[in-house]
Amino acid sequence: MSNDVEPATAADPANPADSATLDDEPRPATYYHLARAVLYREYLIFVRYPANAIGGIVVALFFFGVLFYGGRLLAGQALTDSLSGIIVGYFLWTLSVGAYSSVSSDIGSEVQWGTLERHITTPFGFAPVALLKGIAKVVRTFLTSAVVLAVMLLVTGTRLSLDPLTVVPVAGLAITSVLGLGFAAGGVTVLYKRIGNWLNLLQFGFIVLISAPVLDAPWTRFLPLAHGSAMLQRAMVDGVRLWEFGLVDLGLLLAVAVGYLLGGYVVFHYATRRARRLGVLGDY
Amino acid sequence: MARSAASERDGPRERGDARVGDGRASGDPALSIEGVSKRFGKGEESVLAVDDVSLTVERGSIVGLLGPNGAGKTTLIKCALGIVLADTGSVRVFGTDVGDGRRAAYANVDAMLEGARNDYWRLTVRENLRYFATIAGVDPDSVRARHDRLLDRLELTEKADTPVRELSRGMKQKVSLASVLAGGAELVFLDEPTLGLDVESSRTLRRELRRLAREEGLTIVLSSHDMSVIEDVCDRVVMMADGRIVADDTVAALLSATERDVVRVASADIDDAVVATLRKRFDVRAVESGPDATDATSVEVAAGGDALYDLMDTLREAGVTVEDIGTVRPELEDVFVDLTGMEPGGGGTIEDGATGSDRTETEPLGRSP
Repeated sequence: MSNDVEPATAADPANPADSATLDDEPRPATYYHLARAVLYREYLIFVRYPANAIGGIVVALFFFGVLFYGGRLLAGQALTDSLSGIIVGYFLWTLSVGAYSSVSSDIGSEVQWGTLERHITTPFGFAPVALLKGIAKVVRTFLTSAVVLAVMLLVTGTRLSLDPLTVVPVAGLAITSVLGLGFAAGGVTVLYKRIGNWLNLLQFGFIVLISAPVLDAPWTRFLPLAHGSAMLQRAMVDGVRLWEFGLVDLGLLLAVAVGYLLGGYVVFHYATRRARRLGVLGDY
Repeated sequence: MARSAASERDGPRERGDARVGDGRASGDPALSIEGVSKRFGKGEESVLAVDDVSLTVERGSIVGLLGPNGAGKTTLIKCALGIVLADTGSVRVFGTDVGDGRRAAYANVDAMLEGARNDYWRLTVRENLRYFATIAGVDPDSVRARHDRLLDRLELTEKADTPVRELSRGMKQKVSLASVLAGGAELVFLDEPTLGLDVESSRTLRRELRRLAREEGLTIVLSSHDMSVIEDVCDRVVMMADGRIVADDTVAALLSATERDVVRVASADIDDAVVATLRKRFDVRAVESGPDATDATSVEVAAGGDALYDLMDTLREAGVTVEDIGTVRPELEDVFVDLTGMEPGGGGTIEDGATGSDRTETEPLGRSP
């Protein structure tokens, strides 16, 4: 997240020269102000327009209902035996879809509104703004997915280990890789607006990644979600705590998360740069 | 809103100077564009949108950018902002090369682009101002009083806590402008800022733009199809056509440079034969007849100096009793049409004689008894 602008410092009240200007003199915003502004905006939209979040929860629960009751009719005991794993996988899928679609569709909307340029032409640089927006989306997705998880557990009577110190970091890092995919898809949307809609179908591919055979095919651990999904299964189904995982597992989880996030950002960066060269950025 | 106002006061300039560097102190112009060209597409179908344009905008001035659709105005603005990357040339904002230190330059620039919302409709007016002030690099708490004044001057105070989506189109336009000014940029690009505004709102906005430039040293580059906005607000006009600058001068100079010796004569005695005679001997610019045969016909004739006496003699010989006569005061739009051959609102070429008299005002010389 390099920034060739010196992060400005706030005026020092102890300095008389500064305090003389406190009333009406613009003071530079720091990264703290930036974080507060971006997160507060997400919060405002979340609480002011709850229908979007509630709609997402209802749709997620509907599909789970179809999966659960339909599966029980067709597979009976086999489904019951693997129910814990299915619930964990479904929970991770709702998290992934939430993070991915919120980032990619957010970029699409910002292009339409003409607000994306204002974030690209900020003196902070786009990277910190994008990262903060991503964090806000992840937090919001965790809240809605937690509701989905709670209802799933209640409906099915399943018990899972829900240690937040383990579940939040593992699931959070697992979906960070998806955030990277969201940025990449957002970048492609900036360039090719129609293709962007098709990229939403990628979210169904997350099911494959979440259920990737990491034991039989270890290379799949390097794909987004796969390794994190396996760790989340162990954490929530087998009750493994964060500090009980090996360093290699934790390191790989972190590396995959950071790798895909950076990769996605690089794609976004070059896509917007190409869009600027082609003159299609801000092409309303 | 502009921070340049602060430069007139004592006290540190925590932001601008540190970011922008020496350019501000050395008195560099607000904007310096040198040899910028931009071509879209490749091969035969490519379009040269901006063709080797150089332009300097001094601090605290309001420069109008005029041109028909496709003249390259918006592309030039986007090149200056870095939203479009130019093929050649350089753009300096307060002395900082946009290519070298784009983010440093961005600290002092903002823009309101045509067709863009520019702000979040789900947030209230004040929330937008605070958000975009932060994004522009200013702590919103430090400019709370300035935001209040801005809202007041743009007559938005009553709607400050209303979500933008609930406002009328004109108000949304004003919020969009307010959000651009909220961060205190010292150079702002406004692309069609009065589009969709009613007469009163447009007047308010013009007044505020003039005040910001005069009192706070804000530099404004304003693009508009509305000639009255340009004439009313701008110190200087840059006209573009086919990606090039075809005129760059003050409004007064542009008006005085154009053909001023056009007179309009109205009489019910002017018939086709008289018009034909006039066409043979003079440069007839326009002919306008009323709906009824008994209505006066007016002709606009280029006739300065002795030609004016000749015109009068010709009219007397033809038995024409002059009912009304006056010089035709050229408007900016006439200058524009003369220079570009196009209508400001469209890309079409004006046909000969189609510079209709509805765009001109007549200064009465005298009225026959």
